[in-house]
Order: sequence, then structure tokens, then C-alpha cells
Amino acid sequence: MLENSIFVLLALFLLLGSAGMVGFKQTLFSAISFMMAMLALAGMFALLDNSFLFLAQIMVSVGAVVVLSLLVIVSVNVKEENLPKEPAKFRWMLFAVVLVAPLAIVIYKALTYMPHTWAKTGEGYGSLKMMGMTLFKDWVLPFEIVSVLLLAAMVGAIVIARKEPSNDA
Amino acid sequence: MTPDHFFLLAILLFSIGLIGIVSRRNLFVVYMSIELMLSSVNLVLAIFSRLHGDMHGSVIALLLIAVIAAEAALFLAMIVHLYRLKRTLDSDAFRLLAQKDSK
Repeated sequence: MLENSIFVLLALFLLLGSAGMVGFKQTLFSAISFMMAMLALAGMFALLDNSFLFLAQIMVSVGAVVVLSLLVIVSVNVKEENLPKEPAKFRWMLFAVVLVAPLAIVIYKALTYMPHTWAKTGEGYGSLKMMGMTLFKDWVLPFEIVSVLLLAAMVGAIVIARKEPSNDA
Repeated sequence: MTPDHFFLLAILLFSIGLIGIVSRRNLFVVYMSIELMLSSVNLVLAIFSRLHGDMHGSVIALLLIAVIAAEAALFLAMIVHLYRLKRTLDSDAFRLLAQKDSK
């Protein structure tokens, strides 16, 4: 019973946050709504008994990604009148809803068609120990590839964002 | 709180992200919509992990969080670069790779 009400509350925050992210005109408000959605998503991971994923979501998605975007938004500091003019924004949204709805319904049908009941989870499901055992037993190669990807992304981000002196003219 | 509810939630998140990409022109909102779509995939992976009762789905979700971080770093660097080029956040302003006769 308690779990159900927590689920409803988190789902409400998640949907409101993401809808606000798409709907707000001001970029900063969008980013703050997005942060709300990401925090609620972390709560969803906790509801799914995934305590480590909950921590990782809060540390990486909220603590690093959203804060970094907030920092960039604040430092770019676009004035309200310089934001992109979107006069037909809500008409486009309606069009997009019509476009996306059949796809969403098909995916939902496909997902719920599979046999699905919650499995009985053993002791320590979602704990850091189980996570580490699975990660370093079966997923070592993807883990290493991800570390190379992060390094490449870091170098790439530095190269892209660097100011080129010859480019100003 | 059945799996169906979680699936419905994940699909709604994915759809909202897709709607944001299609309907908005602010580069930051497009970026955050992509993040939202990736996160909804993450949620589906966590649900499957819980359904099967083993940790493999959670591990994929953890790796996906790292991919999301890499994507964020690159996308934000790109937004800074594009803003420096044209002083605008309008995604319609960037038509460097468009065909010549399209306006």
C-alpha cells in the first residue's frame, strides 16, 4: 500500500518534470524540471530494489549531468528575447503527439505481451556486492570499452569546445 | 504497482522525449529530450532486471549511465561551440550541411 502511493507520487513528479522540460520557454526552468524528473527516476530505481542504480543515478545523472547543463545554461546566459522564436510550438507538439502515439501503443503492447510477474529475488538483490560480482564476472569487456568511450568523449569535448583563434574572423 | 505500470511510465517518458525533439527548436531542450529518452531506456532495463531477478539488466543500465554522461559532455561542448559560431540557440539556424537550394 505504501509502495503504491510512493509509486504514484514519483510517477507524478516524473511526468510533470518531463512535461515541464518540454513545455517551458525559459531554458533554466526546463533544466530544473529535468532535474526533478531525474530525481524521481532515481526513486523509481529504488522502488525496483536497485539500491546501487539509485545511487549511481543520483551521483551521475543529477549530480554531474544536470548540474553541468545548468552551468552551461547559466554561462551561455541567453536573454529571453534571444531565445528561438517558437510561435507554433503547441501546434507542433500536437502534431508530434499524433505522430508518436501509435508507436508508443505498439511498444506498450509488445512489452506487456511478454510473460511478466515479479521474480522472487534472493538475498542481496541490488546490493553493491551483487552488482560488482556481475559486473566483473560477465561484463568486464563492456566495462573497459565504456572507460575508453569516456576518455574519448572527454578528449572530444575539450577539442570541440576549445576556442580557435583563426575562427573569429 | 505491477510491471505494466512501470512499462507504461517508461513509454510515456520516451514519448515525451520524442515529442520534445520534434516540436522544440531550443538546442538545450533537444539535448535534454535525448537524455530523457536514454533514461527511459534505463528504466526499462531496471524493470527487466527486477522481472528476471538477476543483476544483468542493472549492470547494462549502469553502463548506459556512463554512456549518458559521455553524451552529455559531448553535446554540451557542441552547444557551446555552435553558440559561439552563430550567437543563437535556434536549431533552425544551423544549416551548414543542408542542400544548397533549401532556402
